[in-house]
Amino acid sequence: MNRPLFIFVAALILGAGIFAGSYFGARHVCVASAGRSTDDLAWLRDEFHLSPADMTRIRQLHEGYMPQCMQMCARIAAKKHEVEAALGRGTNVTAEARKKLAELGELRAQCQAQMLQHFITVSQAMPAEQGQRYLSEMKRLTLGTHEELEQSMSADHDHGIH
Amino acid sequence: MNPEDPKLRNLLREARVSPSLPPRFQENVWRRIEDAETAAKEGPGWLNTLVFLVLRPRFACATAVILILAGAVFGAHAGSKVVKQDAEARYIASVAPSTLR
Repeated sequence: MNRPLFIFVAALILGAGIFAGSYFGARHVCVASAGRSTDDLAWLRDEFHLSPADMTRIRQLHEGYMPQCMQMCARIAAKKHEVEAALGRGTNVTAEARKKLAELGELRAQCQAQMLQHFITVSQAMPAEQGQRYLSEMKRLTLGTHEELEQSMSADHDHGIH
Repeated sequence: MNPEDPKLRNLLREARVSPSLPPRFQENVWRRIEDAETAAKEGPGWLNTLVFLVLRPRFACATAVILILAGAVFGAHAGSKVVKQDAEARYIASVAPSTLR
């Protein structure tokens, strides 16, 4: 390699190194200085620019919702065990297993409805515009993955048919 | 005076002064040939100009400062994004059980 080209490539590598070092250093410092917040609601406050009064109301709603959520989670976990037991090691889906699967689905639907109701209640405790944004964001984050999965499955079916 | 006179011709030939070569003449000739070949190999003019520019201390320092600042700005932006995503995930995990998502 001739000398000017070598110097040019070395300068480029050095420049990239300086940029990368600075980038990752700043990123690390930023993440480390923010630390791991112990407040589950910190994101709400920052993202939706909520006042202390809004946060107090929302914290009360959140704390009221958590026991219901945990209770529902425990019921779903118990029902999943029942489904596993009903399925056992058999190769057929028995009537009992179908019944348990339907009950599990029903519980999940109840849990989802309860969760959505909580999101609606929280959105009403926010300023109107922020509340709308919060609700649509929560729907996207909690229901969006289901929709994506269903869409990908229907796309696969269509692909199979054609 | 007859220019065809062999004696005269011999005398004139002997009297001609042949200049002595400067010291290290041959070595200098070869060096200049090598320099010319190296210059031809050293690539296009724009690259030489660019390298000359890059190697100037003032330009090199300014470039380093710009790269450090740009890296810090983009890094801080990426870091704040990571912090925000972590906080969002924390809230979602607290209100939406993973069995529903």
